[in-house]
Amino acid sequence: MRLELGKIFIKDVQFSDVTKVEKGVLYINKEELLKEVSGDERLKSIDVEIARPGEEVRIIPVKDVIEPRVKVEGKGGIFPGFISKVDTVGSGRTHILKGAAVVTTGKIVGFQEGIIDMTGEGAKYTPFSKTNNVVLVCEPVDNLPQHEHEEAVRMVGFKAACYLGRAGKDVEPDEIKVYETLPLLEQVKMYPSLPKVVYVYMLQSQGLLHDTYVYGIDAKKIIPTFIYPTEVFDGAIVSGNCVSACDKNPTYVHMNNPIIEDLYERHGKDINFIGCIITNENVYLADKERSSNYTAKLVEFIGADAAIISEEGFGNPDADLVMNCNKIEEKGIKTVLVTDEYAGRDGASQSLADSTPKGDAVVTAGNANELIVLPPMKKVIGHKEAANIIAGGYAGSLKEDGSIEAEIQVITGATSEVGFGYLSAKGF
Amino acid sequence: MKLKPVIVTNNPLTKASLETKYEVIFNPDASLLDILITVRDYVHKGHRLLTHPLMGSIKPNQTPYKSVAVSRQCFDEIDLMSINIIEESILKAQQLIKNKKISIYNHRILEDFSLIDFDLIKNALN
Repeated sequence: MRLELGKIFIKDVQFSDVTKVEKGVLYINKEELLKEVSGDERLKSIDVEIARPGEEVRIIPVKDVIEPRVKVEGKGGIFPGFISKVDTVGSGRTHILKGAAVVTTGKIVGFQEGIIDMTGEGAKYTPFSKTNNVVLVCEPVDNLPQHEHEEAVRMVGFKAACYLGRAGKDVEPDEIKVYETLPLLEQVKMYPSLPKVVYVYMLQSQGLLHDTYVYGIDAKKIIPTFIYPTEVFDGAIVSGNCVSACDKNPTYVHMNNPIIEDLYERHGKDINFIGCIITNENVYLADKERSSNYTAKLVEFIGADAAIISEEGFGNPDADLVMNCNKIEEKGIKTVLVTDEYAGRDGASQSLADSTPKGDAVVTAGNANELIVLPPMKKVIGHKEAANIIAGGYAGSLKEDGSIEAEIQVITGATSEVGFGYLSAKGF
Repeated sequence: MKLKPVIVTNNPLTKASLETKYEVIFNPDASLLDILITVRDYVHKGHRLLTHPLMGSIKPNQTPYKSVAVSRQCFDEIDLMSINIIEESILKAQQLIKNKKISIYNHRILEDFSLIDFDLIKNALN
């Protein structure tokens, strides 16, 4: 499966009469965009705002972030199972408005969370302070059940991203990247001397506000299966996950999964990247056993020499991570784990809720309990009072001057467990 | 083998919604940690853990509610995986609670925490 990603670099976003991309600027006809995303009677109102890098703007509470993309050649369309039919995606050509992002905000539950600061200390922790954000502020009708509210706002984000993505359909990209994975037996033959590496991609799937979808299917209902990495770039995996802002994978992060990109970078050089196995993180322990057994079986079946395993979330998924690690290692296949930590404010406590001696190669994405003070911003898009009641914040988090003292787990993407962030450790 | 569950909870919504279908041990005065310790005691007696005690991304120092399912059947042999998971979960919960105490939330937020805890255990059992 071969996919060309045509990146159109966007350096600014502005409202205008016509939606178009011209000389690196995304112009948006606000009325047309609103018409495109409206129509769901569960939402009382939708408004659009723009937040650019460097502006004194805080977006809170963030629900999802989505990248505008459009399919130019090849089967299917972006977000199969939601916006497009369920054709298999991941081949042909896709254009991306790189540098633009759709951000959805809305208080789905009282403790809704997720902060994006476009400048200041907080901006250093979120990758979405560097994108030109088209923010959709969605207000529900009264007494709308939470799961319906989540679904309605999720769909607004996907529709907006597809609408904006279409503006790049006939634009010549600034850069084209080509990614290709062959059917397994051919892929193995292509680089016979290189170690075969598979990516085990764990998806949050516990229930309300903790869900991920694959081609429209709720991931808690899948058994682990194979997916071509390029399918992910076309939006085959999307987020319905609203809790734990720092380490959930927004849809944008699925579409830009840096583990997949990095594995492709080394593909044919020092590894043979043979594909992805997606698996879930369910609550019922028998489901965990089944999924980890199945994952290990698939990793062995496709002949991998090593597996990179990424987790999404805290606590319950730690058990899935450890089960996947143990069962894959027991088959004589090496693993590298990617996770984040809840190690207390001083970072000295045990990081995860489970552990294994076999997990001897682990990459951390940072300590979510680390404290931070976010300075006041001139403008707040969304609900600033949410700062007092988000995970990692606490009563009194929001100071009178508008500053917020909280743990970095309040910041969208701060400790991304696929490494889509800025935290790093350096040795000297 | 699908084991019949007993649900240990301090969540009124879990009790009200699931007690017609399952056996529910409800203690409204129990803290989240009390619930985990009750579950630990069951596991040490020979009951098996059926759902993960730290389900959901809401941390144990953030929500007051907890619902956990254990097997109704008490086995002669202690299940080591159940022991490991509940003990590790208690350690993690204690650490986070010590780190930062639960905030006092208003009624609406408590309802949301309650709903999520219930939805997750309901999904797990279904």
